[in-house]
Amino acid sequence: MSIETNTGEILKNSGTFLASLIILPPLTIGILRKTKARFQNRIGAPLLQPFFDLAKLLQKNETVSEHASWLFRIAPCINLTVMLLLSLLIPWTSLTAIPHGIISADLFLIIYLLGLARFFTVLAALDTGSAFGGFGASREVTLALLVEPAVMLCLACLGVRAGTSDLSQVFSYEATRLTGQYGLWFLAGCGLFLSSLVELSRMPADDPTTHLELTMVHEAMILENSAANLALAEIGHYIKVALLLGLSWQCFMHCLPSHLLSDWTARAIASTGGIISLALFIALIESLAVKLRWTKLPEFIAYAVAMAIFSYLIALSV
Amino acid sequence: MNELGLLFTIPSLTALLSLFIKKTAITGKLCALAAWLQLALVISVLLPILTGHSTSISFAPGLIVDKLGSYFILLTTFVVACALTHADYFFQAQAVIGEPYKDSRLKLFYAVVNIFLMAMTSVFLCDSLGYLWIAIEATTLSSAPLVYFERNKHALEATWKYLIVCSVGIAFALLGTVFIFAASQRSDLGSGTLNVSELIVSAKTLSFPLLRLGFIFCLLGYGTKAGIFPLHSWLPDAHSEAPAPASAMLSGSLLNCALFGIWKASTVITAAKPEAPAFHLVAVMGALTVVAASIFIIRQHNLKRLWAYSSIENVGLMVFAIGLGSGPLFFLQALNHSLAKVSLFLISGNIVQAAGTKKLSKLHGLLENSPFWAGALALASLAVAGAPPFGSFMTEMSLLTLSLGHKYYILAALINVALAVSFLGILAHTGKVIFGAGKPDFKVFSERRAALVPMLLVASTLAIGLLVNYESR
Amino acid sequence: MQLSTFEALAMLSAVLGILILGTTLLRTNLSFYRFHTLAIVALTVWIGHITKEAHLYIVAAAVLLVKVLFIPSFLGWVMKKAEVGSDKQAFIAAPLSMHLGAIMLGVSYLLSSRIPGLEGVHQEGSHLGSTAAMSILFTGVLLMLTRRAALSQILGFLVIENGIYLFAVTQTHGMPMLVEMGLLLEVLVGVMISGLLLFNIKKSFEHIDVSQLTDLKD
Repeated sequence: MSIETNTGEILKNSGTFLASLIILPPLTIGILRKTKARFQNRIGAPLLQPFFDLAKLLQKNETVSEHASWLFRIAPCINLTVMLLLSLLIPWTSLTAIPHGIISADLFLIIYLLGLARFFTVLAALDTGSAFGGFGASREVTLALLVEPAVMLCLACLGVRAGTSDLSQVFSYEATRLTGQYGLWFLAGCGLFLSSLVELSRMPADDPTTHLELTMVHEAMILENSAANLALAEIGHYIKVALLLGLSWQCFMHCLPSHLLSDWTARAIASTGGIISLALFIALIESLAVKLRWTKLPEFIAYAVAMAIFSYLIALSV
Repeated sequence: MNELGLLFTIPSLTALLSLFIKKTAITGKLCALAAWLQLALVISVLLPILTGHSTSISFAPGLIVDKLGSYFILLTTFVVACALTHADYFFQAQAVIGEPYKDSRLKLFYAVVNIFLMAMTSVFLCDSLGYLWIAIEATTLSSAPLVYFERNKHALEATWKYLIVCSVGIAFALLGTVFIFAASQRSDLGSGTLNVSELIVSAKTLSFPLLRLGFIFCLLGYGTKAGIFPLHSWLPDAHSEAPAPASAMLSGSLLNCALFGIWKASTVITAAKPEAPAFHLVAVMGALTVVAASIFIIRQHNLKRLWAYSSIENVGLMVFAIGLGSGPLFFLQALNHSLAKVSLFLISGNIVQAAGTKKLSKLHGLLENSPFWAGALALASLAVAGAPPFGSFMTEMSLLTLSLGHKYYILAALINVALAVSFLGILAHTGKVIFGAGKPDFKVFSERRAALVPMLLVASTLAIGLLVNYESR
Repeated sequence: MQLSTFEALAMLSAVLGILILGTTLLRTNLSFYRFHTLAIVALTVWIGHITKEAHLYIVAAAVLLVKVLFIPSFLGWVMKKAEVGSDKQAFIAAPLSMHLGAIMLGVSYLLSSRIPGLEGVHQEGSHLGSTAAMSILFTGVLLMLTRRAALSQILGFLVIENGIYLFAVTQTHGMPMLVEMGLLLEVLVGVMISGLLLFNIKKSFEHIDVSQLTDLKD
């Protein structure tokens, strides 16, 4: 890959990328919450409420448990850093944030970076010594254990088919060995989307709005955080939502006829629209479905793994 | 076409009537009469074949009856007529001795038997493998209510197993039929056909791998319905839980239908390649079934299950006959088995009804209680086991001779041993039932009439053994 | 190589079939069965479109009526009446059996390319039609072997039947219409009889666990 020399092109790309990184994640969450509220016949908070929430949290005084160590305070920073790094690596919009060839977006790197972020979140949750942090962490790790193979397989089968583990090449819009493999893209997209629901603690796996100890997973882990610390954790989570939804959407986007997406603007609009529409879809699911019982969750995750196996079969055979 | 309609007129009318006639005693007599009338009608329709004036009658495209088929139709109708004649007595006896069955249940029984008769008749009319499959599945569906007749837990279990196992088995036969059709489309026939008569003519040009696959699936599928060895699990349950006349029909005519399906499929594959290795499978499975059944016969504790396993043994012999490619021997074995086994199931039904138990350990002293029945049971079990003057002995004899001609030495030896084992087993079991001290609570109702139909059947199988010239076949 | 519409529809029906294995909730099973059969109907229509065989449209309409609309609704009604919701204690946990089903899809891909004579008649050199059919057969067999509820057994039989139907559609230029229709009628009657039996099983045993029906043995 040659390094792009067109400065204007780079500026346009990076500028748009930066703007979407700042605006899109909280906006997605805002839209999701608003839609859910409308489904429940409420007016709901304004679309930009996540921004206001973050601003409010950053102004507050922080309360830290006396049992907590430095780990507790530093974990959200690490989390956010990893997420920002991932946003450069994961091809979650159709934009190339950094020119090709500078850094390789290896799929294993991405999966282990996700693992790293989770590792520190879990450590911080255990650090305060509260019961909630403990069971939240244990549940989170159990889910991660089940869902990680699905994510890995989905990405790996695309990589196997394309002959590279560099996701920026796998997801590029140039002609590759993956062009026209609609079935493969679709199944991988389904698998990734189902696993993102679990990864992002959305409805069938976890209720993001609950604070009931029987059902909490992710919320239980960040129950002790407050003020700026909480804000950092929230931002990290928002970005993760946008990243994973964006990644699954990119798979679906490759199922569209390629001539529709030859244009840069069309791709940018389609990517943004896709993330938002997936958020709308999640809102729909969360309004219609109920949270699954903890013991039924492996059954749900199995569907993600099955999708991954199907796409692997296709990747090997076609 | 008119003749085809004629064949189904009497049973369909009787089925309708039996739902509407209030008195079930009348229905019973009417059904028996109708079945005998049907037999006369069948003979008159099939007369050209029976007298040898023509080799087949074509009713419609895909519906051709040949010589073997017409003999089987006669046998089936005869068996049903006998069973219905006895059923009239059987249900009367039940009303006198034990708890009478509800009228609605009897009405349904008679109606379903007539539908069952139609389904079985149509099996032998089919030239198209597709129609054949439909007809055989129809026999399964229409006989399920007969098995469920007693309406208790055991009957329910037996019916469920029967329905599910046979439906799935038959589904695989359908898969085989699909493959045979696909084979015919890759041949001279162009657009493809399922008609056996056309398939045989252009058999050499059929795609053989597909044909072979199709045949194996047909063998397994129809084999499940016929009760060949590893797939027989439903058969003893269904045959032992159904009421005696129904068990007699299941064993004496239903099994023949499934075997006829195997026969039809095998004629195609032997026409395509006479020495196909897949075809040897038939003889091997037949022999295996005989061996397995003989082992089960030894360790039976239930009178009706004993006869069910003896049916499996005979099915094995018939499959073996098909594997030797001998249609006449297949029919003769079926004929002798049907006559003797129907007789056995009917007389056993009487015994079970009178003694109130099916357990072999609780049945004894029949000779003291009812000498007529004891005689009938002894003769019928001798006939089924294959004692010399009876028909079964003659067919088994010629079967073994023929198998030596096909160089199936090991299989012949195995069958020989198995037949000896089951002979001993059956005689030992019936011996215990007949001899010993009589049972005090044995309730006999109209002893001579009860033994009438079974005795008639035993006499006819004896006549076949003495009169039919086996060498000429 | 890109998937043609024919292959995509065949694969879709196979995948939807395998998804039936993934849950023990009978209602979800039934809706997956409905979608799975719908994919098969779409495939039939598509083949009718390619081959210009008008009778395939009629067959597709009949299948739609019986197997997509009527049978799932009937079984749903039976389920409601018999008050059974899920198939508890399957012999193999549902996720595992679904993954087994997915593996069997791979196995059927290998098998259908090895067994001679299974290349489809509509698509030159493609055997994905028979792969899908075989995988659906395996799915049905898995369903019957791993589940205990009587309703799952019926469903397994229906799935097996779908696999055979798919064989008929992809491997031949359409079976004779009378045969297809007769077959559909048999399935209909069979399902209704077994549905009624299921009521009786529920009534006399107070459960529909067929693995507990073991009174009859030698």
